[in-house]
Amino acid sequence: MDSIPVVELHDVSKIYSMPAGDVHALNHVNFSIQKGEFVAIMGPSGSGKSTLMNMIGCLDVPTSGIIKIDGKSTSDMTDDELTIHRRDNIGFIFQKYNLISLLTAYENVEYPLILKYGHHDTTTRTADLLRMVGLTDAQMQHTPYELSGGQQQRVSIARALANDPKFLLCDEPTGNLDSKMSTQIMELLKDLHSKGRTIVMVTHNPVTAEYADHIVIIRDGVIVDE
Amino acid sequence: MSKESKTLWQKIYSPMVLSLATRNLKLNKFRTILSMIGIVIGVFAICAMGMIGAGFTEEMNSMISDTADTLTISPIGEKIIDGTTTTGLSEKDLRDIESAVKSVTNGFDMIPMYSSTKYIYIGDETTMATISGMDDNDINKLVTLTEGTLPRGSTNVIVGETFAEDNDLRIGSRITLLTSTGQEVTCRVVGIMENTGMFSLGFSTDTAVVGSIEWYTALVGDNHGLYDNVIVRAYDPTELSAIDAAIEKKMNGKEDKDSDDTVYILNSYEVMKVFDDIMSMSAIFTTIISGISLLVAAVAITNVMLMSVKERTREVGILRSIGTFRSQIMQMFLYEAGLIGLIGSIIGTALALIACPVFLYGMIGSAEAMLTVSVLIYVPIGIVIGLIVCLISGLYPAWKAANLNPVEAMSTD
Repeated sequence: MDSIPVVELHDVSKIYSMPAGDVHALNHVNFSIQKGEFVAIMGPSGSGKSTLMNMIGCLDVPTSGIIKIDGKSTSDMTDDELTIHRRDNIGFIFQKYNLISLLTAYENVEYPLILKYGHHDTTTRTADLLRMVGLTDAQMQHTPYELSGGQQQRVSIARALANDPKFLLCDEPTGNLDSKMSTQIMELLKDLHSKGRTIVMVTHNPVTAEYADHIVIIRDGVIVDE
Repeated sequence: MSKESKTLWQKIYSPMVLSLATRNLKLNKFRTILSMIGIVIGVFAICAMGMIGAGFTEEMNSMISDTADTLTISPIGEKIIDGTTTTGLSEKDLRDIESAVKSVTNGFDMIPMYSSTKYIYIGDETTMATISGMDDNDINKLVTLTEGTLPRGSTNVIVGETFAEDNDLRIGSRITLLTSTGQEVTCRVVGIMENTGMFSLGFSTDTAVVGSIEWYTALVGDNHGLYDNVIVRAYDPTELSAIDAAIEKKMNGKEDKDSDDTVYILNSYEVMKVFDDIMSMSAIFTTIISGISLLVAAVAITNVMLMSVKERTREVGILRSIGTFRSQIMQMFLYEAGLIGLIGSIIGTALALIACPVFLYGMIGSAEAMLTVSVLIYVPIGIVIGLIVCLISGLYPAWKAANLNPVEAMSTD
């Protein structure tokens, strides 16, 4: 018996109303992600891949169509339920790292745990995650501005893993890094995938996409190859 | 993915959200201090005005209430006695007044007195004072001695504390007055009267010289036996209005005061109530004026918070994307507004607590009222008002931040 996909998109469209006319960012997209998959979504700039990622990550709502999380339609979920879903089930890794500049590396990783449990991390989980992605104890107390791009992305990966999410959603995770650092980050993701983690990655880089075991090509809001 | 149940405390307190709020305030120290100054000034103004008003009323009441149990009845109508036109209260007037008072209560003292202003010579100095003559048995009903004894005979007097201090008089000192025929009469000070205070509504002892009727008439004459005024002291001050009305009716023929009246009645209890009303009205008025400064501060805080939301739009987007509730985003900005309000209010109130005693002491020579509940109540009132104003000011910016679209917010640089 097939298991329920982690995320399913049924006939999803997203239309942005612009002064020059409507923009169809996604056009009747059907797509699903199975547990344990490493999916790369590729496409040129403006193809709709970021919009697709926002839909999968429940950061945006479709104009039409249905998105299901563990078989449940997101249109039936309240904003608080979607927030809990993002907090508990999705680990976001962004191109610009998106760390909170006011917090140290340690606090950035600890933050999702506090959101979930309502108190500071009393275990060694935060430190363990940061050590796992290669940060030293001293670097943990640095603010994002005191870290290199690669180190910030490592912190971002540690933060994404904090609540042990069902899948990682990566938006151009190596887009701001040099090739050496990109390889290190991709090896880290590959290692996570080998341990059973589901990963969805948006990229326009074919080298990066090679790490995935399933590549989806999107163009003009339509999935053209899967 | 059901809704999580949280305790009320968990709903209003989030350690990391509070930490983010305090760090942001620290990061923008100068802006935080500037917006706080507005609240400090606003809360200081409200607190100080309230405290001064309450302190002033408290001090006045403590001074007035001691004398707010008397009616002072003075003659207005003219009388022709032995072909001479004069004013005063006759024995019949006194009997009429007494019967009017008795129609209301038996708990009262009635003290008729002679009274006039005279030059007094003390050594080489000359001064003026109000001299009063009253029955030996009545003096102790009206005054309290701080030292000495009550005056007897025609050469002993008692003087008010202020008069004694101003003229360096003590028990045994001598003062000289002139009779109507220019004859010198030297009197001995045998007692010092406790001050009734500058706001006394009845018989004021501060600068008075009091002696027996025998002493007064020997000095001034008896004015055909007509008294200059009568003081009625009610044991229960709340009966004063009824006594006032009864005397008005008996002496003036009607309860309302009029230009045709034969006597004028000064009701100290009514005066005190009018004074209280005036003080309450002025306290409300000054508080409203002070509130305007707080309103200006509130507008400034809203502006600062809106700027903060604009600057941190991306941060809000990130926080929302990784699972921060809208309510927690609201909390973050409300914490900031609340912290500005709380710290600003505490500083404003503390400044008011320093300034008010100084001001009160300068105005009325005493700051004892600062320790009363009606004054100190402005400490929590000031803090709560400052806090509420800031929270209300931060409400719209916080709501705006909480409702940002995470995707659009994250794409902001």
